[in-house]
Formats: sequence, structure tokens, C-alpha cells
Amino acid sequence: MRVNPNPMPDLMAALNQTELEEQQAELQISTGKSVNEPSDNPTAAALLVENNDQATFNSGYLQSISAVQGQLSTASSTLSSATTALQQALSLGVEAGGGTLSASDQAAIANQLQGIQSQLVSLANTTYEGNYIFAGTKTSTTPYVLDSNSPDGVDYVGNTHVNEVSIGNGYKLAVNVPGSQLFSAPGNDVFLAINNLIQAVQTNTGIGTAVNAVSAASSYLSAQTVLYGNATDQTQSETTYLNAAQLQISQQQNTLGGANMAAAATNLSQAQTDNQAALAAISKLSQDNLFNYLT
Amino acid sequence: MSGLFGSLSVALSGLSVSQQEMETTSNNVANANTPGYTREVSDVTAGDPVEMGSLSIGTGVVLQKIESLRDPMLQIQINQATQQNSSLNASLTQLQQIQTQFASDTSGIGADISNFFNSLQQLSPDPSDLTLRQGVLTAADTLATDFNNAAQSLQTQRSNVDQNVVQSVSQVNSLTSQIASVDQQISALQGVNQDPGTLVDTQNNLIQQLSALVDVQVIPTDQGITLATSNGTTLVSGSQSFALTTQGIDGVQHIFSGTEDISSSLTGGSLAGLIQIRDQEIPSIGTSLDQLAAGLATNLNAANAKGLDLENPPVQGGNIFATPPAGGVGAAATLTVSMTDPSLIAASSDGTTGSNGNLANLSAVANQDVANGQTPIDAYSTLVGQVGSTTSNTSADADASNAILQQLQDQNGSVSGVSLDEEASNLIQYQSAYQAAARVVSTVNLLLLDAVNLGMDAAEE
Repeated sequence: MRVNPNPMPDLMAALNQTELEEQQAELQISTGKSVNEPSDNPTAAALLVENNDQATFNSGYLQSISAVQGQLSTASSTLSSATTALQQALSLGVEAGGGTLSASDQAAIANQLQGIQSQLVSLANTTYEGNYIFAGTKTSTTPYVLDSNSPDGVDYVGNTHVNEVSIGNGYKLAVNVPGSQLFSAPGNDVFLAINNLIQAVQTNTGIGTAVNAVSAASSYLSAQTVLYGNATDQTQSETTYLNAAQLQISQQQNTLGGANMAAAATNLSQAQTDNQAALAAISKLSQDNLFNYLT
Repeated sequence: MSGLFGSLSVALSGLSVSQQEMETTSNNVANANTPGYTREVSDVTAGDPVEMGSLSIGTGVVLQKIESLRDPMLQIQINQATQQNSSLNASLTQLQQIQTQFASDTSGIGADISNFFNSLQQLSPDPSDLTLRQGVLTAADTLATDFNNAAQSLQTQRSNVDQNVVQSVSQVNSLTSQIASVDQQISALQGVNQDPGTLVDTQNNLIQQLSALVDVQVIPTDQGITLATSNGTTLVSGSQSFALTTQGIDGVQHIFSGTEDISSSLTGGSLAGLIQIRDQEIPSIGTSLDQLAAGLATNLNAANAKGLDLENPPVQGGNIFATPPAGGVGAAATLTVSMTDPSLIAASSDGTTGSNGNLANLSAVANQDVANGQTPIDAYSTLVGQVGSTTSNTSADADASNAILQQLQDQNGSVSGVSLDEEASNLIQYQSAYQAAARVVSTVNLLLLDAVNLGMDAAEE
């Protein structure tokens, strides 16, 4: 059979192909990615979009967690301080109820107790980054204000709402406890107990009952610290989980779209060899034909 | 006629045929690199013998014709392969441009969607923080801008393709008129029984160029050739060509043959590929983007309306994005963030500044079906996958089609290509034949001399 006397188009196509392969290998090596455009691997390209979305969410959750942890630890240490203050009030009350103190000593204790009362109000009005953390969601309003007409000596002007923050896919964490559940919970009202104690010491009547109430309120408040402890534990275990998830996502990203450097380097060297072969073939071509041998 | 004079005339026929054969060879060598040139061979036969009694005496050699060697079947296959190849390559070039917009998983619309929802997540622990609120609006702005850019660049590409269509149509018209004019010359030559040879090469070359633009079939008739598209539109009939026209309809140029709109019925050539991109692919991607932009804007606006903003007294949330056009058409191009004051983000569900209750509603849009029954990121990811696989499939088809075309052209070259080795060997052959015939002439001449001077030389001796 007669052969095509002009192999140049074939050789040019081969040259073109080897150059394309060289470029692709070089692109993979320089970007470190095997999916540089969607057509390189459509399925992987689509998955990488989802992957990046999840990675963004996870890093968002991690950021939220560290924001929330600050608030939780402030709240938790505030409650500890309040419990300590109540313990002080308790020992003062026991001292006052002993029946051995002079009227002026009693008055001094009543004064000290009033100091503890305002310390408690101040603790209940703690802010974190400018927001009142025991005001429910009325975080811009001072939740507890002194009111001598009120039975417990204060007014709660916060609300009873709770904010939730997502710390994982579909995982929401309550990040605040309203003051009305902590300091002025019905039946365990810290402010009522301390106010009653002050009045009992001042009038020197019913100190024992008032001391028992303070003791009960103190235990209650101390128990509430657990809420924050739990929340903090949850954020910590979620952080561990999210970090592991991020690692897995980045591994997936690499599996889906990362370049296999060894393979890319081999491809590059193969393509270069092929390219040189094609070039050599072209340069040899058409140097020789029968006319050269005619004399 | 016989005798010495007979030999002389036989030798003369050898001389003249060898000379013509060498001319053919020389023409082949000269055109070895001429595109579309088909090698020619001399068709020689022995002259009719003269019967003398029981003897049959040869009368030399006759050059019947100079013939171009071509395989018409291959030519048809090459034209068809060219049509498919050009269509695929035209589509591929455009698709490769389109897909660059969808190339990154860490930037562009997909990442913008993720970042927007992340900005809401960041606002959630501290919903009254104005910096974080501004972060939400900035993320929304980036998202809107990237939607606008994507839609805009699709639109620009579409109008470039449209211009390309118009240019291709004018090339088609120019080619068909050249083909018709060549056809007239061919008919004229065939009318007087001459071989149109290189004119047919020219015409085939033109038809192949036309095949790169549009799907044409060649139908040989008594009055030359007829060229028609596969849907039956006649482009050339003998020496007459019929120009296509373009006319703007709905912002793009449609192709008309007479009064018939043939835009959507072209099946091959770069025109078919371009129209496929212009009328199918780009609008389809555009619609997906529009649906996604409209769905996001509508659902986020609705979610914002469920909450209360940071104003004193708090007010029900207004639109974050300008209301998308009805039906979503053009939503991606026109997506804008209409909210300028970050305190208007309705994060609160109870009217207090510290409430983040409604942020959950806004964030929930990330998991709502906003476009084609898919969540925003799923819809975008699906689009990326679609653009990628369309491009990748077209690329594979184009590769296969390149290989087919190349092989057909190889086959055609093996039939019609000029081989210099072959021509050189022919040349030696013709040269020897010429030399031999010349030797016969000189021998006959000597013999004639002997005959004319019969005995004279011997007497002098």
C-alpha cells in the first residue's frame, strides 16, 4: 500500500500533544493541584466546592467557640465570686445570730452585709465585651438596679431569653443563663435572702431563718456553675472534633484535587522525552529523498 | 506505415510522450507542498497497431490523458469529519473560557456563599457588634459583585460568539460564491471533454474550508455540484450560490436562508458549535446563576423580615438584597445589596439588641432549597460539576474527532499526496525512455543515411 508521503501534519500533531502534556504536568507541579479547572475532574471540582464550604463552616464554628468560651468563663468565675461573697455573708450572719454582740457590732455587721449586697449586684451586672451577661438578651441594659422598695432590694430589668450559638452542623449551644434564673430565681432568690438577712441583723430578729435562706441560696447558686462548666466542656470536645474534621477535610481536599508530585514529575519527563523525539523526527524529515541521490 | 520512416514516427511518439510525462512529474514536484493539490499521473497506452497481412505492427505510444488521483469517497468522509471536528473545537474553545470562572473552590461565587454564611455565624455570639454586622454586609456585597461579574462575563462572551457567528456567515457566503464560480469553469472544461484537474482540487479545497464552518453535503448533478446543508438548505447549485443572511432576534443574530431561520438546524461546522454555545450552554449556565441569585436574595430577605433590627425602637427587618426580578431572569446580573446600614440586619427575635434568635433563620437559608430544589452551595457545586463535565466531554469528543480527521487525511495523502521519491524514480524512468527513443531516432537516421547513399561509400573505398 502506498504510504502518505507527507507525515508532517502527523508529526505536528504529535508535537502539539507532547507540548500539551508538558504544560499539564508543569501546571500540576507549579500549583500542586491536579484539578486546576473543572474539566480536569468535574466530580472532584464539584466536591471541592462542598469541601471548601464545610471547611469554612468548621473554621467559623471554631471562631464562634473561642468567642463563646470567653463569655462562659467570665460567667462561671462571676458565679464563683458570688458564691464566695455569700459564704462571707453566711459567716457574718452566724456571728450576728450568736446573741453575744453589742448593738453597735450588729450594726457594723449589717453594714458589711450591705457591702456584700452591692458586691453581689455588681457581680450580677458583669459585662463581657460591653454586654451584660446575666440580662437575658437585654444585654445593653444593666439588669439589676437597687430598689429599697422591692422586697429583695433590687429590680431585675433583664429578660428571660436565652441565646443559642451553633458550634457544629445542627449543634446549638445555649450561651447565657438569664439573671432571673441565677440570682433571683423564685425560691432561691439570692438578693431576697441577703436583704432579709440585713433586715434581720438590723432588727435582731429572725436571724437564724435568714441565715438558713442565705445558705440555701448560696448552694443553689453554686450548683448553677455546673451549667457553665457543662457548656465549656461541650465547646472543648467540639473543638477537638472540629479540628479533627478540618484535618480530614484537608486530607480529602488533597485526595480530590492535590497533584501526585511523583506522577506529575514522571509525566513531565516522559512528555519532554516524547517532545524531543517528535522534534528530532521533524528535523530529520524531508532532508532525504531520492532526488538527493540523483547525479 | 512501415519501414524506417515508420520506426522514426514510433520513436518520435516515445520522445513526445516521455516529455509530457516529465512535465507531469515536474508539475507534481512543483506542487508537492500546495494545499489541496492532488498528484497527477499520465495515462499512456500503446498506439493502435497497423495490420499488415498476418502481421500486427505497433504504432508507438499515445498519451490518453493526465489524471488527478483522488478518492471521492474519502473526500466526502473528510468533509464530514471536518464538520464534526470544527463544531466540537469551536464549542471547546468557548467552554474552556467559560469554565475559568468556575475554576476555584476557594474564591468566586461558591466561596462567597460559604463566606456569607460564615459572617452570620461570626455575628451570632455577639449580635449587636457593628463591626461583625458590617462583615455580613461586606460578605453580601462580595457575593453580589461576583454574581454580577460572572453574569457579565457570560454576557460578554455570548456577544463575542454572536459576532463570530456573523463573521462565519460572511465567510460561508464568500466560499459558496467562489465554489459556484469554480464550478462554472469546471463545467465549461468538461463541456469540451477536458480534464478540469486542478480546478477540482481548488473546489475540493474550498468545500473543505466550507465544511469547517457549516454542515454541507456535496450532491453531484449534471449541471455541476449542489451543496446543501443537512436540513436541506441549498447553498450552491451549479454555478449559482445562495447567500445566507443574519438578522437580530432577541439580542442575537439568527441565520436565514431566504426567509427561513436555519440557526437551530445546523448540525456541523464551527457555526453549529458556536450557536450551541450561544443559544444553549451560556443561557443554561446563566439561568442556573439567575436561579441561585434570586433564590438566595428572596430567602435571605424573607428570613431577615422575620426578625427585628438594632434600631430603637426595633423595626421589622427589611430587604438585604434588592428584590430580584420576577421569574429570576437577570437576577445574577442585577443582584445588589440594598441594605447600607449594618444595624438594619434583623438579628433579634425579641427586639432586644442582644438577641441572636433571628440569625438562626438567616443561617438556615444555607440549608434551604433555593434553586432547583438544592441548597445554595449544592446548587453551585452542581453547576461547577456540569460545566466541568460538559467541557471535559467536549474535549474528549474533540480529541477523538481530531484523530479521526487526521487518519482520514493520512489516507487521503496516501492516495493523492505527491511523493518526491516516487517522482524521482518516475523521472529516471522517463529520462531513460526519452534517451532510448532519441537513440532510436539517431539509429534510424544513420540507417536512412546508408539507404540514401546506397553503395557510394563502398565505391570510393
